[in-house]
Amino acid sequence: MEKQLIVAIGREFGSGGHEIGERIAKQLNISFVDRSMLDEMFSGNGKHKEQIEKYEEDVAKPFLHKHVRGFTNSIEENLAEAQFEYIREKAASGESFVIVGRCGEAVLRGNENLVSVFVLGDMYDKIHRVMDKYSLPERDAIEKINRHDRKRKRYHNTYSDFKWGDSRGYDLCINSSKLGVRGTAEMLCKYIEDVRERK
Amino acid sequence: MLSTAQIVALIIFILMFVAIVMDKIERQWVTLGCGAATLLIVFGLIMKSPATILESLNVASIFHRDFWITSEAESASIGVNWSTIIFIAGMMIMVEGMAEAGFFRWLCMRIAKLVNYKPTPLLVSFMVMSFCLAMFIDSITVILFLAAVTVELAKMLKFDPVPMILSEIFCANLGGSATMCGDPPNIIIGTALHLSFFDFVSHTGLIAFVCMFLVIGYFYMVYRKELATEEVTAEDIAALPDPKSAIKNPKEFTYACVIFGCAVAMLVTHAQTGLTVAFIGTFVSALTMILFHKDLVKIIKKVDYKTLLFFVGLFIVVSGLEATGVLEILAGFIGKVSGGNLKVMIAIIIWLSAIASAIVDNIPFSATMVPVIRALAATQGVDINTLAWALAIGTDVGGSATPIGASANVVGTSVAAKNGYVISWGTYLRTALPATIIVITVSMLIIFARYC
Repeated sequence: MEKQLIVAIGREFGSGGHEIGERIAKQLNISFVDRSMLDEMFSGNGKHKEQIEKYEEDVAKPFLHKHVRGFTNSIEENLAEAQFEYIREKAASGESFVIVGRCGEAVLRGNENLVSVFVLGDMYDKIHRVMDKYSLPERDAIEKINRHDRKRKRYHNTYSDFKWGDSRGYDLCINSSKLGVRGTAEMLCKYIEDVRERK
Repeated sequence: MLSTAQIVALIIFILMFVAIVMDKIERQWVTLGCGAATLLIVFGLIMKSPATILESLNVASIFHRDFWITSEAESASIGVNWSTIIFIAGMMIMVEGMAEAGFFRWLCMRIAKLVNYKPTPLLVSFMVMSFCLAMFIDSITVILFLAAVTVELAKMLKFDPVPMILSEIFCANLGGSATMCGDPPNIIIGTALHLSFFDFVSHTGLIAFVCMFLVIGYFYMVYRKELATEEVTAEDIAALPDPKSAIKNPKEFTYACVIFGCAVAMLVTHAQTGLTVAFIGTFVSALTMILFHKDLVKIIKKVDYKTLLFFVGLFIVVSGLEATGVLEILAGFIGKVSGGNLKVMIAIIIWLSAIASAIVDNIPFSATMVPVIRALAATQGVDINTLAWALAIGTDVGGSATPIGASANVVGTSVAAKNGYVISWGTYLRTALPATIIVITVSMLIIFARYC
């Protein structure tokens, strides 16, 4: 039986981190976990599944939540905890997978089968990728990138011991602008295979 | 003009409230820190009164006979209300033992089976069960189990559990207002003013009972469309677990039933037997620890010591306001605004309590308001019990208005969210806020009609 492999990818918005993750999963023939985990976690919840998506990768709103005996009314916090539990269970099951975002590298920190990566990109490339993907003018693309990165940073830093994008928290940080999405994915696959062989 | 001690005591109190609302530091550290500041700065440095420090800590009261076997006198008006803390600790241990035995899960599954899992009877029966259980057990535990079973049933019978969870939360808070032991504010009010279980049942209990029917009708009207679309098939029912499967150990289950029965019997008769709530709490916890000795460590570990520490700090901070006379000033202000009119006083107390409890924790609010109504009754010559009923209903029911108003609301919305069911502020307020306004208005009118 092949040894378990977990690849956790943190990413800047517009860096192509999500697509890189998909490519790695495809190339290594392992499953890919992103927002789609909600389908598995909450199948059969009807309208609530769509509603809960907007609370993903976010933090509790100040003054609007309270903690009582380990419980909180913050949907963001409850969802984050439920997702972390899902990630832990998936890892414990022995399955190999690539996980994008959701503090995957922080949740599974210490797991010997984990390879954690942070994907960043040059602002110019990120803007153009977002402009193409969402058909947005430049100004709106910049705003979207900044907004999403602020949100991801806040979310990550709330639940992790290390800062979002801090190289000390990942096995590898890579700028996708240098090799492009495809090239970066190929390079990372090679890196992951090498790491695997050394273990 | 306020004195230095009064200003500092007030600042500490406000800081405590702000820190509790901000929820950045665990609330027991907030109250303990502010309590320590009250003891050291207000009583020690400013008032230079070691006697007030001892009075505030109130430890000596535990060693008096009156603490265990009731007397006619009211309990100490200042300082830590150890009766409340010991009673709550005892009930926590008892409830953990009951949960360990599978009592709550069995009860929920059994009642669901009795009504054949049909949506409307399920909604009504769970609301009534929530109300009745919350009369004796803390609403957090009630909602924890009810909401969990509701979600489980919802997943298997494919219905939306949110309407039921919201209805259960409201009824748990309402049921808590019916008895002296139902909600911490009532325990604080009851022990401080020497009220009995039956005093509460025959006054706030009557109001809560009337309102329960109103609330059932209200939630049915609000959710009737959702309930009508939900159909339960025989296959769905067949897939559900047997209620008996909740009972892990029949012997422990019997023990749990006996202990709960003892607690209810002792609470109902405590005015006749003379046993105080501190005694009852200690007795049921001791009984639980003896009969559940195998799970003793597990049960003790589950006791929410953080809440108990929260109470200790809270009572000290409130004693700072009381000893420095700040609360008398507040009572004087309410008396002045009401012009000595009892109806206006009741309206102010019930609405002020309800609004404050909807935003901040109702426990510190009620602990603060007890000395206020005491002073108000003394200065205005009105019946203190009437003010106590208004305070109890206001704090207990007001907490239902928002998702952060009461602990049961937080637990219920959390159980829903953990299972992927969204109860946003908007969803919550849409039904709970009008229900709270209706119940508070009706309660006020009943108090007017009965006592004015």
